[in-house]
Amino acid sequence: MSSDAEKEFIEKARSPFSEAFEMFRKNHAAVAGLVVLIFIVLAGIFGPYVYPGDPFEMVWAPFSPPGDEGYFLGTDYLGRDLASMLIHGARVSIAIGLSAAFLTVFIGITIGALAGFYRGWVEEVLMRITEFFQVLPTLLFSMVIVALFGATLPMITLAIGLVSWPAVARITRSEFLRIRELEYVMAARACGVSNGKLIFKVILPNALPPIIVQAALMVGSAILFEAGLSFLGLTDPNIVSWGQIIGSNREYILDASYTVTVPGLAIFVTVLAISLVGDGLNDALNPKLRQR
Amino acid sequence: MMAEAETQKDDMLLEVKDLTVRFPVKRGGIFGGKSYLYAVDDISFEVKRGETLAIVGESGSGKTTAALAVARLVEAYSGTVRLGDEDFLALKDDDLRRARAKVQIIFQDPYASLNPRLRAEDIVSEPIESLNPLGKSERQTVIDGLFKDVGLRPEQQRLFPHQFSGGQRQRIGIARALATQPELIICDEPVSALDVAVQAQILNLLRKLQKERDLTFLFISHDLGVVQHMCDSIAVMYMGKIVEHADRKSLFNDPKHPYTQALLSAVPSVDAKRRRNTKRILIPGDPPDPINPPQGCRFANRCPIAEAKCNESQPPLREIKGGHKVACHLA
Amino acid sequence: MTVPLLKVENLRIELATRDGVAPVIDDLSLELGVGETLSFVGESGCGKSMTALAIMGLLPEKVGRIASGHIWFNGEDLTKADDARLRQIRGNEISMIFQEPMTSLNPVYTIGEQISEVLRRHKGLSQRQAHAKAIELLDAVRIPNPQARVDDYPHQMSGGQRQRVMIAIALACEPKILIADEPTTALDVTVQAQIFDLLRDLGQQTGTATILITHDMGAVAEMAERMIVMYAGRKAEEGPVDQVIDSPRHPYTKGLISCVPHLLDTLTDERPELTEIGGIVPSLRDFGKNECLFASRCTIADEKCRANRPPEAEFDNQQRSACWHAGQV
Repeated sequence: MSSDAEKEFIEKARSPFSEAFEMFRKNHAAVAGLVVLIFIVLAGIFGPYVYPGDPFEMVWAPFSPPGDEGYFLGTDYLGRDLASMLIHGARVSIAIGLSAAFLTVFIGITIGALAGFYRGWVEEVLMRITEFFQVLPTLLFSMVIVALFGATLPMITLAIGLVSWPAVARITRSEFLRIRELEYVMAARACGVSNGKLIFKVILPNALPPIIVQAALMVGSAILFEAGLSFLGLTDPNIVSWGQIIGSNREYILDASYTVTVPGLAIFVTVLAISLVGDGLNDALNPKLRQR
Repeated sequence: MMAEAETQKDDMLLEVKDLTVRFPVKRGGIFGGKSYLYAVDDISFEVKRGETLAIVGESGSGKTTAALAVARLVEAYSGTVRLGDEDFLALKDDDLRRARAKVQIIFQDPYASLNPRLRAEDIVSEPIESLNPLGKSERQTVIDGLFKDVGLRPEQQRLFPHQFSGGQRQRIGIARALATQPELIICDEPVSALDVAVQAQILNLLRKLQKERDLTFLFISHDLGVVQHMCDSIAVMYMGKIVEHADRKSLFNDPKHPYTQALLSAVPSVDAKRRRNTKRILIPGDPPDPINPPQGCRFANRCPIAEAKCNESQPPLREIKGGHKVACHLA
Repeated sequence: MTVPLLKVENLRIELATRDGVAPVIDDLSLELGVGETLSFVGESGCGKSMTALAIMGLLPEKVGRIASGHIWFNGEDLTKADDARLRQIRGNEISMIFQEPMTSLNPVYTIGEQISEVLRRHKGLSQRQAHAKAIELLDAVRIPNPQARVDDYPHQMSGGQRQRVMIAIALACEPKILIADEPTTALDVTVQAQIFDLLRDLGQQTGTATILITHDMGAVAEMAERMIVMYAGRKAEEGPVDQVIDSPRHPYTKGLISCVPHLLDTLTDERPELTEIGGIVPSLRDFGKNECLFASRCTIADEKCRANRPPEAEFDNQQRSACWHAGQV
């Protein structure tokens, strides 16, 4: 009898990550966020084909309210189709969000892991650098970069990545500091595992959960950041992003409020969905690691 | 006589001489002077092949640091560690990596000593892969054998650490330590995190494995009952120093150092006869500041029989009868 | 016979788990006399700490509750007392010290402030009186130079000293019962000896009854007069310490004693294998079952043990054992 139960138990031998997925699935808010997010990403990828049209083309009289002449979100101050702009903008906003978050995580993990693993002067130097970047006024710094090197998409991404990595570096370092003292790391060292393997194969996988959560939230804040820069006009004029729609229409906020509200809502919903997902990841990934 | 000494020499697996481990302690500010905490201060001991030496002591005595220094997981400041006929502390890079196979560790906390991301089989095969890579089927045979030897079933190889109980986890830790066919195994408080009923299983397993595989143990523990059961000889540490070093029977039945006497008398016992016959020696106060140890005997400030000379000079560890060594001016 | 200070009657505590409600304490009865030292022994998860929390009225809210039974303290049923009354009793008449002296003191207050706090709340002393009394208490728990140490913060003290401070706080209001939950597990053995010595002396001076929760048979033998061995939320055996250790009447007790290597009066070369208690503690799911919960690990269990929960067999030397085969053990 007990061996049957045991067998069933062993059949179910699952990795900690698959258990985390199970927990995530039970978090309704997070799942809802994920569904919305997937929808937005799909809209960004396939939207332009489903809803063709150049977002820069003047299609109808400026300031037509939503629904007018088949343009269900109306037109902006230059008579461009807002729906088309929104869909094309989704692509850009999300691309910037993802690539900036990726850059952030890449820099952050590298610096944090090296500092946390090697300690000593390596840590001193790297953490001073991290602190330097952390105390810079983020918006000003990124504005300077964009102003100096041109408002192109890669430059904007780089600017966002450069100002937001310190948070990831700090989290990574503190996780490394904690985990490197654990006995399984010591056991690996006693087996002669090389430093590179220790960092990437032993410690990093165990340090990932809080970093993943931070990365998810980073996507949201990168989208907001890009919106902020665009609003200030620091953006590539040849592409549409949500922030840029708001920025270019901001003078007409009282006369044609929908031109600002609609892209604003899009940003709001996307960032909210990302936050919900990040929150769900946090709940799903953390308790498992803290168990006993 | 001479010949006997010779053969004894050959039997020694581990010889530690004048081992010192120190840690820098920061004293405020970036430019504040550095001072050092001597966690292990000039200790020497040896372990015969196939036997168990226990290092006992209370928290802060340096017993774990000493063991980790022997395994080169903590850097020794000075001294030599001779393992078989190799100078273990002098090895570098690849030689060191290869030599690590000879010294393995069983850790205290079965919840922290296994990587939660790996399956049990991967945990056990980690040392094999990194130290002497085998073919796939050959490796599987080795792992199967190890699992059997430590009392785990083959189907449990696929499980993750959190799916095991504490005792089973410790068995995995033991299997991992055995994987490289080490000559010396350091057992760092291997049962103190386990429930008493499980402790017996692990202790019996360790003794069985020692007999079958002719293993040598360096056994770190604060539990004198467990030590008494497991070891052949014992070194008692106090504040980084070995204060007494003797074989099992003479240390437990006839302790010479006042600290050892106090330590033994403090252990509560179920044996009514022992309770009647043991007069508890209470040692008042706390150990002195380890960063500024006293010039004389480190136990002098708590010692019930200390005299003036104890505060003046450190007593050396000297042999007083057949292998029984004590570091006390008055013993 | 006099009325006992504390009397627990048929106590059943239920804990809400993922798999439903489990009785973590099942039909437990015990008595504690004035000034007596009673010890709960068992492995982790056997319910010994849970019983202590129930007596203190500190069961985890919403998760655990007293399902039936009574806890009589001085003739008052604590299971019926309201929160205000329980607060009054806690720390004043029944107090508790915990395993971890590192975390049970608040790091931002001096120890003097923490002791005075209790005295002012429960005894209504003025600030100055409380401070003076705090120094007195520190002296009583043998902290050297109490006048100076009273203004220390917890981090300035060693583990043993912190546990003494905890004892000082626990005894500040001269409670009738002191519950010590593994008070020395985190401490070194020489410090443990000091703490035991202190507890014993203070108990004799103040007439405080002590409940010592531990897994260490040696500590029980050293400290307690009577002991209760718990297994899976049920009482396995109860009796005077010396008798139980000498001739246990429950196979679990017997296993607990012989699975640990003890220091004996004279050490010989003989080192027999330790007795193993095979198997593992049953899961919470099985706790309510009408069977002997130890049967799956027991060497003398038979059909009867698996079919019915054993009643308590009483022996004429005050030993009781919940085992069908208590006579043969």
